[in-house]
Amino acid sequence: MSVQKTEFKRMIRRYFKSPTNLLGTVLLILFVIIAILAPVICPPKAGADPFKIPIATWSAAPQAPSADHPFGVIGGRDIFYGVIWGTRAAFKIGLVVSLISSVIGLIIGSISAYFGGWVDEIMMRITDIFMSIPFLVAAMIMTTILGKGLDKVMVALIIFGWMRVARLIRGNILQAKSEQYVLAAKALGIPDWKIIVKHILPNTIFPVLVQISMRIGSLVITAASLSFLGVGAEPGYADWGTILSYSRNWMTELSKSWFAILYPGVAMILFVLAWNLVGDGLRDTFDPKMK
Amino acid sequence: MTAYIIRRLLILPIILLGITLIIFSMIWMLGPDRLLASYIKSPEALKTPDAKERLIAKYGLDQPIPTQYLKWLGNILKGDFGYSNIAKKPVQEAIAERLPYTLELAMWAIIPVIVGGIWLGVISGTHHNQPLDHGIRIFSLIGWSMPDFVFGLLILLLFYTVLGWFPPGYLSYESEAILRSAEWHKYTNMATIDSILNLNFSVFVDAFRHLIGPILTIAYLWWAYVLRITRSSMLEVLKKDYIRTARAKGLAENVVINKHARKNALIPVVTVAGGMLVSLLAGVVIVESVFNRPGIGRFTADAATQLDYFSILGSALVFSVILVLVNLIVDISYAFIDPRIRLS
Amino acid sequence: MNNDKKPLLKVKDLKTHFHTEDGLVKAVDGISYEVYPGETLGIVGESGCGKSVNSLSIMRLLESNAEVHGEISFEDKSILKLSEPQMRKIRGNDIAMIFQEPMTALNPVFTVGDQIEEAIILHQKKSRDEAHQMAIDMLRKVGIPEPTKRVDEYPHELSGGMRQRAMIAMALSCNPRVLIADEPTTALDVTIQAQILELMKSLQDEYGMSIIMITHDLGVIAEVADRVVVMYAGKVVEYADAVTLFKNPKHPYTWGLLNAIPRLDIEQDTLYNIPGVVPDPLNFPKGCKFHTRCSFCQEKCKGEEPELIEVEQNHFVRCYYTEKVEEEKAKAKAGENA
Repeated sequence: MSVQKTEFKRMIRRYFKSPTNLLGTVLLILFVIIAILAPVICPPKAGADPFKIPIATWSAAPQAPSADHPFGVIGGRDIFYGVIWGTRAAFKIGLVVSLISSVIGLIIGSISAYFGGWVDEIMMRITDIFMSIPFLVAAMIMTTILGKGLDKVMVALIIFGWMRVARLIRGNILQAKSEQYVLAAKALGIPDWKIIVKHILPNTIFPVLVQISMRIGSLVITAASLSFLGVGAEPGYADWGTILSYSRNWMTELSKSWFAILYPGVAMILFVLAWNLVGDGLRDTFDPKMK
Repeated sequence: MTAYIIRRLLILPIILLGITLIIFSMIWMLGPDRLLASYIKSPEALKTPDAKERLIAKYGLDQPIPTQYLKWLGNILKGDFGYSNIAKKPVQEAIAERLPYTLELAMWAIIPVIVGGIWLGVISGTHHNQPLDHGIRIFSLIGWSMPDFVFGLLILLLFYTVLGWFPPGYLSYESEAILRSAEWHKYTNMATIDSILNLNFSVFVDAFRHLIGPILTIAYLWWAYVLRITRSSMLEVLKKDYIRTARAKGLAENVVINKHARKNALIPVVTVAGGMLVSLLAGVVIVESVFNRPGIGRFTADAATQLDYFSILGSALVFSVILVLVNLIVDISYAFIDPRIRLS
Repeated sequence: MNNDKKPLLKVKDLKTHFHTEDGLVKAVDGISYEVYPGETLGIVGESGCGKSVNSLSIMRLLESNAEVHGEISFEDKSILKLSEPQMRKIRGNDIAMIFQEPMTALNPVFTVGDQIEEAIILHQKKSRDEAHQMAIDMLRKVGIPEPTKRVDEYPHELSGGMRQRAMIAMALSCNPRVLIADEPTTALDVTIQAQILELMKSLQDEYGMSIIMITHDLGVIAEVADRVVVMYAGKVVEYADAVTLFKNPKHPYTWGLLNAIPRLDIEQDTLYNIPGVVPDPLNFPKGCKFHTRCSFCQEKCKGEEPELIEVEQNHFVRCYYTEKVEEEKAKAKAGENA
């Protein structure tokens, strides 16, 4: 067991050797801190839903950043508040959707690979079919049907987001099935399901973890895209995409609304970058061949 | 290989059927009330008390689901996708009109994506861990982390608001006037191609100017993706024994890379080309919305915001079918590239 | 050293070290030997002793984290001092190399013929058609049936033995003076193994080339080698001609290797094997690197590493107590005759 420990220590060492991994981890920690401290940085009005950006002004015109509103105002709402609380929304969407859809994918992929034969064929065809509809379009349809709101967005993303993980798990299990150590376990009489849980899954978990962290970024982007197009979160919701959607009204006069693009935009880019760097770094660390 | 192709061709109708099932289940989720709203052109039709039941019966919205599905499927196969409220014409016509604009964009965007992505990916892979590799990796990671609409907005901000070079929209007013004039012949409905065929250089330049922003936006994202795949594939391949053999024969390094490594490295890239197209199509929705191009993408976005159900479902169907067909072509060409598959 | 002929390839005090994230690995730590025209030099040792690294050092095909010192001279050229373009003229042309795994050593997306022709076109400046014909001839020469058909086939369409033959064809296509064969038969069936060795010997006679045969299998050495280098932990521990090595080994490691070969002519209750394992290259033992596994180990062995000394003509050993091996040998012989 000490071999595993030293291997683990070696992986941690290797992970932190790369400056990009370090950067990603630091950024991520920063965002976590901001998300946790959101109520402190931008205290919501008493009794109000913290996720609704408070109205700063009733005039329609965007206001440039000022002392009262460090990131400016657009659509009558304070952008700074939106960006800070938007961090929480981003984590919520990213983590909840990717975890749930990964669990679904894990189950489907495992069943498919375990039973093989017809079950596998049918489940893989179903996966193919779901994958044939472009993710964004499918999500758009779902939110059109289900209505606006962050939770509906999450449902839409989950329904169409499990396929990649399913395929990944299935592929890994199928490959592992033919590995020597599995055949050896089988020869000892160990039942199939135990083999999967004890031997195969631990070895296939790492690629899944990598995938999860890399997906969080693109999930947040898709959710923001939906909000931007007007079919995501409700208007006035503290979510980066929603703030960006206000700038659509000012397309021809972008000079007036640049701050509505810049601040939430940069926040989003950094957030996704952080997850991508971490995921990339995890992948490099876990891949034993990348020495 | 023929077995492989036949198998893929046989599965195709199943997949297409499955897609129709999913799309239809979404229609069903809407419920008869909302569907009715899509059929009715004005609220007056609902004035009388029993109008609703009558209309529901008229449009078959109270029939059992399998019947509705088959009826709908039958219509689809005839090319009838329903009526589009936002375009004020049948959905299939609205889509057909807008398709060329989207294809034009996709066509031009693919070139920098593939060429740049692969070329840079090979360079990055062969200079592993050197400054050039790090630089390209960061460039690619930022592209991967950048939401397309944010990038599009930033491009608009820089190149339009600040510099005034690349305006949004499809064509300038002058060019549009030319297109409406009698001397103009419509061949493909794509301004860039047609302008070449009509030998009108100024329209071509104008059309292209309007294309650059969208192309940059789509390309940057996909460039990043293709680059990553090519790079990691290259790294894998360069560790293989046959690369060592090639060097042991005394071949120059650029021959080793460009002849021996690259062909093998591209095999996984072709594999993901299909997946890439999924998202290229989705990206079109965003990019056309940001840059105000009249293609299917913007049509879908408008349909979503205005709750034009038939339009959005029709678009989804079209997107999916295109996707499936493209994937099929990619899969088949993959068999051609890898002799191990071709000859088994 | 050997005879009055001049050595074709001379390795002197070659040291190849790798900078890894765990430390400095001294894969090859000061080895010297010569290769004469027309002879086969065997290099034998367990995995990890540095024999492959040694051959890659000669070809200069090491990774970027390798540091090479010492001298390698080939026909009066100093290999380590050559520029890369000059080195490329030698690779595949004057010195060729074949590898252990023919399936992975051949590029799966190009035909066998293409890969042979490459070298011919590059080094001999022949046209595509001429090279193609020469490739077919080479395939025929290495004993591949229907060469005109095989030349356009892909590696995965050939059997293991045929792939190795194709590799040999590729290596010999430009008539090299030295062929480095790194475990060429290890991945093959025993019967194919014999065929391949036969082939190599006959080609050697025909082309008059030298072969460096790297292997862990003493059987192969006995079959083909004229002189032998025994390597352990990156160093040469014994260096002699083949007959002397088998008849009169002087290093305990060589003795151990010979003993480990199962014999059919006498009864053996248990098969012998050298106790212990090959030392970790990051953590070599002090003194003689073999002392932790040597049954004749004395105090002196743990202190300072012995030098490689010529104990009799053209027979070099790196050991303080070679007489122990002689004693053991006498005892064993007596025991057999009893």
